Amino acid sequence: MFVSWELLKDFIELDVSPEEAAERLTLSGTEVESITRTAGKLKSVVVAKIEALENHPSDGHLLVAHLDSGGSHSHVCITSAKNVKQGDLVFYARAGSVLPDGMELGMRDFSGVRSDGMMLSAAELGLPDVDSPDGLLVLPPDAPVGTEASALYHIGDTILDVSITPNRGDLLSTLGIARELRGLFPHSTLTLPYWLRPLEQEKAWTEKFGAISLPDEGCLCYRLGLATGAKMGPSPLTARIDLSHLGMRPIVNAVDVTNYIMLTLGQPLHAFDLGTLPAREITVRAAHEGEIMTTLDGRERVLTPRDMLITSGGEAIALAGVMGGQQTGINDDTQTVVVESACFSPVRVGHTSRRLGIGSEAAFRFARTVDPTLSRTALSAALKLMRDWCGAVVDYRPLAAENEFPAPRSVTLTKKKLSTYLSWGNMDEATKIIEGFGIKHTFGGGDERTFLPPTWRPDIAIEEDLIEEVGRFRGYNDAPSRLPGELPHRADAGGPTHLAAFVRQTLIARGYVEVMTYSFLPEDFPSRLRLPGDDLRAHPLMLANPISRDQTAMRTTLVPGLLMSLRATLASGWRGPVRVFEQGRTFLRKAIDSPDHVETDRVAGLVFNGSDPRTPWKGQEEDFYSVKADVAALIEGRGFRPIFVPGQEPFTHTGQTAEIRIAADSGESQRIGWLARLKPALEQELDVSGPVCLFELDLQPLEEAKRPALHPSSPFPASLRDISLLVAADRNQDDVAADIAAAVREAAQAEGTDSHGEILESLRLFDVYAGKGIPEGFRSMAYSLSYRLQDRTLRDEEVEAIHGRVRESLSQRGYSIR
Amino acid sequence: MNPVAESIKEQIKKVRTAFEEALAAAFHTEALEEARVRFAGKKGELTSLLRSLGKLSSEERPAVGQALNALRDEMEQRLEARKRQLRDAENERREAEEKIDVTLPSRGRPAGAFHPVYQTLHELVNIMQGLGYSVALGPEKEEEHYNFDCLNMPSWHPARDMQDTFYFPDDGSGNRSLLRTHTSPVQVRSMLKYGAPLRIVCPGKTYRRDNDPTHSPMFHQMEGLMIDKDVSFSVLKGTIAEMTSAFFGRPLKNRFRASYFPFTEPSMELDIECVECSGHNPHCRICKGTGWLEVGGMGMVHPEVVRAGGIDPDVYNGFAFGFGLDRMAMLKYGINDLRLLFDGNVSYFLSGRDA
Repeated sequence: MFVSWELLKDFIELDVSPEEAAERLTLSGTEVESITRTAGKLKSVVVAKIEALENHPSDGHLLVAHLDSGGSHSHVCITSAKNVKQGDLVFYARAGSVLPDGMELGMRDFSGVRSDGMMLSAAELGLPDVDSPDGLLVLPPDAPVGTEASALYHIGDTILDVSITPNRGDLLSTLGIARELRGLFPHSTLTLPYWLRPLEQEKAWTEKFGAISLPDEGCLCYRLGLATGAKMGPSPLTARIDLSHLGMRPIVNAVDVTNYIMLTLGQPLHAFDLGTLPAREITVRAAHEGEIMTTLDGRERVLTPRDMLITSGGEAIALAGVMGGQQTGINDDTQTVVVESACFSPVRVGHTSRRLGIGSEAAFRFARTVDPTLSRTALSAALKLMRDWCGAVVDYRPLAAENEFPAPRSVTLTKKKLSTYLSWGNMDEATKIIEGFGIKHTFGGGDERTFLPPTWRPDIAIEEDLIEEVGRFRGYNDAPSRLPGELPHRADAGGPTHLAAFVRQTLIARGYVEVMTYSFLPEDFPSRLRLPGDDLRAHPLMLANPISRDQTAMRTTLVPGLLMSLRATLASGWRGPVRVFEQGRTFLRKAIDSPDHVETDRVAGLVFNGSDPRTPWKGQEEDFYSVKADVAALIEGRGFRPIFVPGQEPFTHTGQTAEIRIAADSGESQRIGWLARLKPALEQELDVSGPVCLFELDLQPLEEAKRPALHPSSPFPASLRDISLLVAADRNQDDVAADIAAAVREAAQAEGTDSHGEILESLRLFDVYAGKGIPEGFRSMAYSLSYRLQDRTLRDEEVEAIHGRVRESLSQRGYSIR
Repeated sequence: MNPVAESIKEQIKKVRTAFEEALAAAFHTEALEEARVRFAGKKGELTSLLRSLGKLSSEERPAVGQALNALRDEMEQRLEARKRQLRDAENERREAEEKIDVTLPSRGRPAGAFHPVYQTLHELVNIMQGLGYSVALGPEKEEEHYNFDCLNMPSWHPARDMQDTFYFPDDGSGNRSLLRTHTSPVQVRSMLKYGAPLRIVCPGKTYRRDNDPTHSPMFHQMEGLMIDKDVSFSVLKGTIAEMTSAFFGRPLKNRFRASYFPFTEPSMELDIECVECSGHNPHCRICKGTGWLEVGGMGMVHPEVVRAGGIDPDVYNGFAFGFGLDRMAMLKYGINDLRLLFDGNVSYFLSGRDA
């Protein structure tokens, strides 16, 4: 909201600069975002009188003016404007003067006549709204010749752009800011502009008018004032400039009056031509369910009983407090003006304007609470301005109806709470501060005092509100600063955050870049990922009001984000390897048609060799197995044993997909995610060559890390033996290893060597080979076995005997030993 | 003197001379080994001399024997010394041959990179855990009830204008689902779950319907909440000073401006000293010459919010604060464009490498 320093002077005597006031306002809760001098660089532009006006000797479009600007001689000035005549007063910028935008004027030749600067239009003064766009700004006849423009008509104002918090509707006016400054600067004094002094209003209406009835209590009061014999035209120049500085376009005097009062006092008003009312009667009532009204902007609004209507003769003329209807308004011929000054419940206006998305100035103010006692004062002031600006007769007694106003609520301040909160407890000084804001100390003394907030401060409702008045007056920056003493018991050590820290440290150290992508995805992501209809991930939660189609569906997997990340990386020209991971939430419905959902913390990774993965080293390429090591590191780092079994995902390579499981204490294993190469078709869609490997894990199962069981190696030496097997190509390595381990167990048992079943210290695959020398459909797998006991040295012949049995038993299981 | 003894002494002299020559000529370990075999080996010259000791008289034997033993010890030492010398020389040669170009690129994966926002989140969580705060998390798809109503923001409340909200389709329950617009709903959820006293931080994703260079529809906050008996604003102030100084790595001036949030009373906003210019540069592009950066909102928890958390506001009070993590990250890591943070382009996150 804009605040005019010039208008403020009508309301408060304040002995500080705008900058000082702004600093104080900002620190006390009303942030001043900018301070603007409206005159800008304006210099040496003065009022001048056109002493003579003649045609240009050669150019028929131009006029030559002789100007008296208060100096010893007159100035010659050329204009093409047609709206001036001899004797008119204008703003004159002679050579050497500067316009608000910094443009400096000089002498200029117009077809043989030299023009000493120029006469100004409103736009050239930086005030395009205050006058018609063509022609010069003609000044009132009493404009003082020779006076600088910046000293006249509030042209040289200072405008503060303040942001008002939603609890302080009372500050949405010049009056409100003046009251606030009065509280912040104890030596200031509030004053009143002349138009706020009472007006004699005793005459009966010349126009017949029936009743005002307020069946809906959401309308606290409703007043109508009458102005007859009004002449529609422009408002006084100063008023037009004020309105323009405050961000409102001057329209016509009767409408300007209502805007002016709203901006200065905070009371929204509506002026209309009495003749346009459907009937000489007003009723403010709740709308009927489904009732339709067309608002001023031409839109049809479907209403509910929470909305309030102003009706006349049964016809809706306005959506109360929010927006007028289409029929009633001021036109050029209006003579009889009725001014409406009413107050509506913030709850009701808030509901209506929010639901319908109408953010009018009136709705904005009513939703933030307008002082219900203001409507009387504001109406009287508006009528006085109608008299002065429109030449109207206004001394008619207003018509009014009222419902019950909210009762004033006393609030008590205790020294105990004040000193606890602010570490400061001077009750006498606190009282002075609070009273400075217009909040009256009504009774009590000492350590407990009761205050009555004024009607414009409904935000003062509890003791903490009074403490805030004291706190913001004193400022928070000088308050003592300390840390609390003892630590409270810990509610939760933050397991998910610890796990998240582990995951990111692990993956970053392993070469991954941490990324973050949006939680919402394009609505077609399930079909792009080829998710089938019976997959829960194909049924994302959808936003009701997304910003764009690309950010509509809540992600059910982190994969699309990683693919977007890959795409963005490649698009930026990156040609090396891409390793990215993201940790974040996924949102899954509990069932395909259920609105209920589960949020799961997950980590997903993507690895791609890059379009140019060449390095001086061999064997550096990424593939399924290199990424498998990363997944294993995540799982083993939490103390779990990862198990990879063949699996399927709709968007992955059917031959290169593993389900990831972890062994649970029960012996059962639990699925926690998958690791795979992307489907070749999707790789082609991404326009990449070479494998794109991905994994996605649920983090919750890893949250509680398992402590590893550590044990020293045996003090006795190990005996190493290798074994090489021919294995059917479709047989998994895990199964082969399990067969070998089982064979060793049986052999050791048969030999009676190992009572604990621990003789196989390790079993390590060291070679896999298929091709020349190996039959079609087979591969050769070579393992190194380490035999070792905890309690004695194994004798060579024992090892030979066991290993012999192992070979035999593996042959019986169908392996050929090489 | 016994001619035998004489001859032995003579031979000792010869052997010594020959040994000296052989040693000097041994330029590699093989030649040295030959010399060792020739002189000190089982069939070596020295051994045969030792054998000839028997031919000497018992008077002569000790002196000659001593001389022979001394020669043997000396030979062994010198052989050993020469061996070491040769090995060193050989290793030196070998090292010279095995010289590599240490400036070739490293093999294996270089380290990845953190995301500045997550880094910020974890740094702040660590700082706050050091101050005795626990971590509490909440759902991102939240209920209107927790996101607004419990926080003193009924549906008509104009404060809702400050937060343009993403909603999910209305299920008619009167408690619509939405994407949380701040981390504050975790306050109430945590109070209900843990009771008082309480000290928690709630980091996480938040969402508002905003999309421009300075606003992302998805952003991050960290909420803090302390509930105890007789909590003072001074403790909030001390906590914030500790947190911002620890995060930026130096004491920063803080400025508290009175403000308004429906869920705190009194409320303030926090400005920190400009991390770029500390207020010394009137043309600073970070603080726009004001010297201050707005980083968070805070205040004493409103009694109605304490009550909504199932805690008696006549017994307990406290404070709450909320920081924008994206903003903190941008300030700490000098990031100008918010959108760079969310498109996952690795070249951006790795670009700090060359610097």
